[in-house]
Amino acid sequence: MGTPTLIATLDKVSYMYPRSPEPVLKDISLEIYKGEFLGVIGPTGAGKTTLCLTLNGIVPQFFGGRFFGHATVVGLDTLDHPISTLARHVGTVFEDPETQITATSVENEIAFALENLKVPREEIRARIPRVLEAVRLEGTEKKHPHELSGGQKQRLAIAAALALQPELLVLDEPTSQLDPVGAQEVFATVRELNRELGVTIVMASHAAEEMAEYADRLILLAHGALVKTGTPDELYNAVAYLEANDLRPPQVASTFSLINKAGRAVPKIPVRLEEGLQTLAAWRQKAQLHVQPPTAFPRPRIPSGEPLLSVKDLHHIYSNGTHALAGVSLDIHKGEYVLIIGQNGAGKSTLVKHFLRLLEPTQGRVLVGGVDTRTLTVGELAQRIGYVTQNPDNQIFNATVWDEVTFALKNLKYPREEVVARATESLEAMGLLAERDQHPLALPKGDRARVVIAAILAMRPEIIIFDEPTTGQDYRGAKYILEISRKLHASGKTVIVITHHLYLMPEYAERVIVMGKGTILLDAPIRQAYHEIELLNSTYLTPPQAVFLARALGDRHTYPLLTPREVAACVAGQPIEGEI
Amino acid sequence: MTIPSGEERKVKFLGGAAIDGAPVAYIVVLAAVVAALCFIPFSVILALGGSFPIAQGIFPLVGWILGPIAGAIASGVGRLIGVFVAPHTAAVPAVSVWSAMVGSFSAGVMKSEGKRKSWWLPLTIFFILEFLLFVGRAIVQNGVSPRAAFAGSFLDWSGILLFALPTRTLAARWLRHKNIGVVAAGLFLGTWMIAGVTHLTAAMITYFMSNWPEDVWVMLIPIIPVENLFRCLVGTVIGSGVIAGLRAIGIVKPTEATY
Repeated sequence: MGTPTLIATLDKVSYMYPRSPEPVLKDISLEIYKGEFLGVIGPTGAGKTTLCLTLNGIVPQFFGGRFFGHATVVGLDTLDHPISTLARHVGTVFEDPETQITATSVENEIAFALENLKVPREEIRARIPRVLEAVRLEGTEKKHPHELSGGQKQRLAIAAALALQPELLVLDEPTSQLDPVGAQEVFATVRELNRELGVTIVMASHAAEEMAEYADRLILLAHGALVKTGTPDELYNAVAYLEANDLRPPQVASTFSLINKAGRAVPKIPVRLEEGLQTLAAWRQKAQLHVQPPTAFPRPRIPSGEPLLSVKDLHHIYSNGTHALAGVSLDIHKGEYVLIIGQNGAGKSTLVKHFLRLLEPTQGRVLVGGVDTRTLTVGELAQRIGYVTQNPDNQIFNATVWDEVTFALKNLKYPREEVVARATESLEAMGLLAERDQHPLALPKGDRARVVIAAILAMRPEIIIFDEPTTGQDYRGAKYILEISRKLHASGKTVIVITHHLYLMPEYAERVIVMGKGTILLDAPIRQAYHEIELLNSTYLTPPQAVFLARALGDRHTYPLLTPREVAACVAGQPIEGEI
Repeated sequence: MTIPSGEERKVKFLGGAAIDGAPVAYIVVLAAVVAALCFIPFSVILALGGSFPIAQGIFPLVGWILGPIAGAIASGVGRLIGVFVAPHTAAVPAVSVWSAMVGSFSAGVMKSEGKRKSWWLPLTIFFILEFLLFVGRAIVQNGVSPRAAFAGSFLDWSGILLFALPTRTLAARWLRHKNIGVVAAGLFLGTWMIAGVTHLTAAMITYFMSNWPEDVWVMLIPIIPVENLFRCLVGTVIGSGVIAGLRAIGIVKPTEATY
């Protein structure tokens, strides 16, 4: 094996955005080698996005600010060469494909950047099928990008970046908005580009399981500094260290780390599911696997009485003919914590929008508290149902946090004292009272989500819907929001959560509704639903690694375990405590 | 602050899509906003059979955000699109586009700093000439009484005065103020003066086209200032939110921005 060739270098790079008092990148020195798959991990605010933007010159050329040190890509200093020149060598894919896609057809989208760089027409025509094949989107040339699924859109964004034939492809959280199978598709595509075409990959991601599987090397950023570099085995092995840095290791690593802690020696903590399953199989083969079957879990509460929310034979057909809901019926009772899951486009958001009358049924009825929503105004429903959308920025439009939280109350003509009391109470509950005079957009994304939740809490709704609340949040941010949902649930509210992050939910949800192609595929307690692997796969979902490990524990029995702690306790022969 | 160990580099924007220091993306967005606001009418122009668009309230804001040249382009492009997609608010299309460009350009030169600190002077002379042609034609050629002409052109000469006096730089300073209340005051004052000279630019041409009689001058005396108050209100409300938002998200500021 020859000496690896450098493709990019960072030498003592520090950077401050125009208004930031502290550097967001601090003295980073890093060498990126041709053909490697480099993963960038770190909690929110660690500087991952800024690092990605440094590699294509957008930082600092677009943002301004102060830049220290030297960054080079294919030998070009990123401060001495225009972004357009660097773009020929560095392709960039961002978190939300919607923000990158501008054209009205797949082929036009790919041609756009090439046309801007004056690539000859014949060459553009030749490149389009090549890149579509590389991302497995052949046959979609004439389609409108809106007709593609989330995973396909992200692959289109990758194809558009690839068409420039970059030596380096930088991807910033490219899978955070995708369902698990969409995310797998993107990771698999990126790995193929890396292995077969030799494209160097730099990817920032919170997806620990996938990073362990696909990356050659990882760097860990914390507070803008590069604190650790190593292979996925080296970094994800250090479970305690990662958790101290607000990072989530792959569940398989957590599980074996807990087993190790419980006294059963694990010589090498596996970081990939396959390795974990092999370890369990090897233990069994050597008769070293003595599973302590879990005692019976508490039976799920069977709700009774009149449902708070009732959906009867609901159909919804969008104006473009898409049949988004096809005969959905369900009842949700007061005080339930319901998780709705399903692939992108399964109809989850369409369903919950009917609860608020943001969409009208094409057929069927929705009843809230026994009253048909068609007889209620959106304003009346908003007082009973709070809806936290996926992107908090879409819900924020006032100039201060206080104005945002009091906006609806003032519009509903609540007395001034009541407005002040409710807003103060909900801001206190969200830990945002000190930020009341700040502009919401000046706050970090996690805090902006809390502003939206505070505004909703001030309305004191009976039902609160969180639509993909953990997208773009690191582990700590995601847990923070889910802890809020737990508190709301404990205070008697009915909570409905939509998410793709199944691994986060076992500690919170009681009931799972699995949707696919506009129908309900399964409505079951979480311990049952998560173990319906084939059914989940049919709607492009995959359960957390702990479920696969649990299923590998017994020859004949299937233990309904959901978390690394439960699996570890079972393997270590300890009673399961503190979960569910 | 942590002291970085690397050598500090000079940060510059190399090439790329920018006009006069304003990214083209900003120009496109603001042109789109102007075009969208052209759909909403707020007053009817007597005799010309069209209406004013609410977009007139943000021509100055566009200049303050993008600077004189990029601002004029954004407003001009937005208004040009508006002429076609919303003809009901464009009584005389060419005048609508021209005055939009003059409005944003004038707003953009208000801060009087750097190499462009004298740009306001020829502009002021240009406005004075426009005023002389406008009111002079009314009084000398069309026999409108001087009293009616001066009262009817109150907005126009108040705009010139505020633009020529230090009130121009005062408004620009207020626009840069930390306190959003002071910014709002700057928006109101600035919108009044810029809408005044913009109105003059449009009125001078349309008057040469239609030579409205003294009765109309008299009728316009109370209407024009009220209309302009509405423009100021639009500029202040939208401008306060936009400037507060731009500051909050820390997005890169165009080189010639005033806010």
